[in-house]
Amino acid sequence: MIEIKDLHKSYRMGSNSLHVLKGINFKVDDGELVAIMGSSGSGKSTLLNILGMLDGADSGEYTLDNVPIKNLSETKAAQYRNKFLGFIFQSFNLINYKSALENVALPLYYQKVPRKERQEKAMKYLDRVGLKPWATHLPSELSGGQKQRVAIARAMAAEPKVLLADEPTGALDSKTSYEVMDLIQKINDEGNTILVVTHEEDIAHMCKRIVHLKDGVIVEDKKIEQVRAEQYV
Amino acid sequence: MFDRDVWQEIFNTLKTNKLRTFLTGFSVGWAIFILVMLLASVNGMENGFVGQFNDDATNSIFVRPGTTSKAYAGFEANRRIQLKNDDLEYIKQSFPDDIEYISARYNANATAKYKSETGSYFVQATHPDHQAIEKTLVIAGRYINEADVVNKAKVAVIGRKVAEDLFKTEDPLGKFVEFNGLPFRVIGIFTDDGDDNAERRIYAPISTYQRIYGNTNDINMIALTYNPTYDLTKALEFSRRLEDLMKRRHKIDPEDQAGLYVWNYAEAFENISSFTAVLKGIGIGVGFLILISGIVGIGNIMVFTIKERTKEIGVRKALGARPRQIINLVLLESVFITSLSGFVGLFFAWIILAGVGPMFQTPAFSNPSVNLSTVVTATIILIVAGVLAGLIPAMKAANVKPIVALSDK
Repeated sequence: MIEIKDLHKSYRMGSNSLHVLKGINFKVDDGELVAIMGSSGSGKSTLLNILGMLDGADSGEYTLDNVPIKNLSETKAAQYRNKFLGFIFQSFNLINYKSALENVALPLYYQKVPRKERQEKAMKYLDRVGLKPWATHLPSELSGGQKQRVAIARAMAAEPKVLLADEPTGALDSKTSYEVMDLIQKINDEGNTILVVTHEEDIAHMCKRIVHLKDGVIVEDKKIEQVRAEQYV
Repeated sequence: MFDRDVWQEIFNTLKTNKLRTFLTGFSVGWAIFILVMLLASVNGMENGFVGQFNDDATNSIFVRPGTTSKAYAGFEANRRIQLKNDDLEYIKQSFPDDIEYISARYNANATAKYKSETGSYFVQATHPDHQAIEKTLVIAGRYINEADVVNKAKVAVIGRKVAEDLFKTEDPLGKFVEFNGLPFRVIGIFTDDGDDNAERRIYAPISTYQRIYGNTNDINMIALTYNPTYDLTKALEFSRRLEDLMKRRHKIDPEDQAGLYVWNYAEAFENISSFTAVLKGIGIGVGFLILISGIVGIGNIMVFTIKERTKEIGVRKALGARPRQIINLVLLESVFITSLSGFVGLFFAWIILAGVGPMFQTPAFSNPSVNLSTVVTATIILIVAGVLAGLIPAMKAANVKPIVALSDK
């Protein structure tokens, strides 16, 4: 599903450049649930940005679902993001004047799905995260866990190939974190490929594979025995 | 463009920033208000001018003799020029294709008497063509005709005011009125769009009056209208030819401005048109300058809004919004605020003009109003202004990197 070969990325900081990613090689198969771990400055956010086509790499190859991702125009990148990727953010990033349902429907709007169909589909995904009764509520009327579930529904609404979660539990207490992880595990059980960036050990162990980043290189990449979040809920 | 979601977003931004929207919108509304008021004023002036001139046919030319100011062809300066019947015939024969109507004028004053009523009036003795040149509107009876001129008939067409003064409630048609002791039969009554004085006038056949005044051939003035298909250049060219010919005939130096006056309405009309066009241009210019400050205001506020919504725009981009869609959203919002506030300004200007406008009825200024073309112009200006105001903010918005969605600052 995802294939990365010898990926390099550096940032210019005035006169000197900061080499953030120093040759990443990495492959994710269909249906995997991968945790990307690392301390701050390890390059995990940069890697996620590149995976999410929010940023470009300096050199190396990136193939997503057999499509080479390289030199994309803004418009093309927007199209690919919409088609291939679903984002889950640490701070949820719901649009505060739109109801839960409209937030979920937003990626479909950018896919030019007709309004009625959009609403039906959004409602289906909202139901899947258990928030159907909250469809007409604004984000400000929802709890943190609920907001993140709406965000997950939004990420899934466009039926992307890969879900990218950037510290999805970073802003949540541990109980809610487990609820969210439980949901992510269930979505993964249905065959969706998910990448989770986290610095929390327990969250990482709820995935099926952990990739450790340090100083811009992968220092460890191992399959693990998944801890089910269900038992903590 | 007529997407519910887009409008929902626009209304939301406006709703959350009511005061800000109002204040920015006000500057644009005010600018349009001033622009429309200025244009309406110019319009009013134009109406006033045109109204004053409409009294006569707009394709008319008047030839009036003067006194020469230069010696020429053996004649000394200060020679009085006198037009005669021959001149009229000469012009008629020289320009058969250029002339539509032509008439001589012989002016006199008459003390008119009917029964016990008397009054002093200005008598203009003319040819039948004069009716068309002066646009005289006969409301009863008829105007002077060829037979009257040939027979030197003592007939008169009197103004409405003359009829009121002398005949009171009687019907003047067919009655005899004395002009300086000579009986004239009233054959018609006319009205005139000009002032009351124009209706205190009497028309009589030219030949009749020439005979009364010592069997003269003199005429005071020649009035004519040129071929109505002529445009301004052709009309001016014709009046120049006419002037040259008449000056040669009367042996006046071609450079002598005082010997003969050929006065062309087209020229005067052209002057007024260019005058009001300049005023209109100034009006639009001033309005535009004010509008620019409004545009800058809206652009400024939009930049601010975009800054506030940077994160939201980043999220939208991460979710697959194309730069185009973001630009459209911002531009539409800008055009919407600009147009809405502009139309409010236009509406207020229209209300004021509709209320106050009809009160202005002076010769130089009448009925200032907003016409459809002003509204259409204003609409186009507003849409363009809105696009201009939104352009920089929209580009700023389109350049927002979707990465900002991930940063939690």
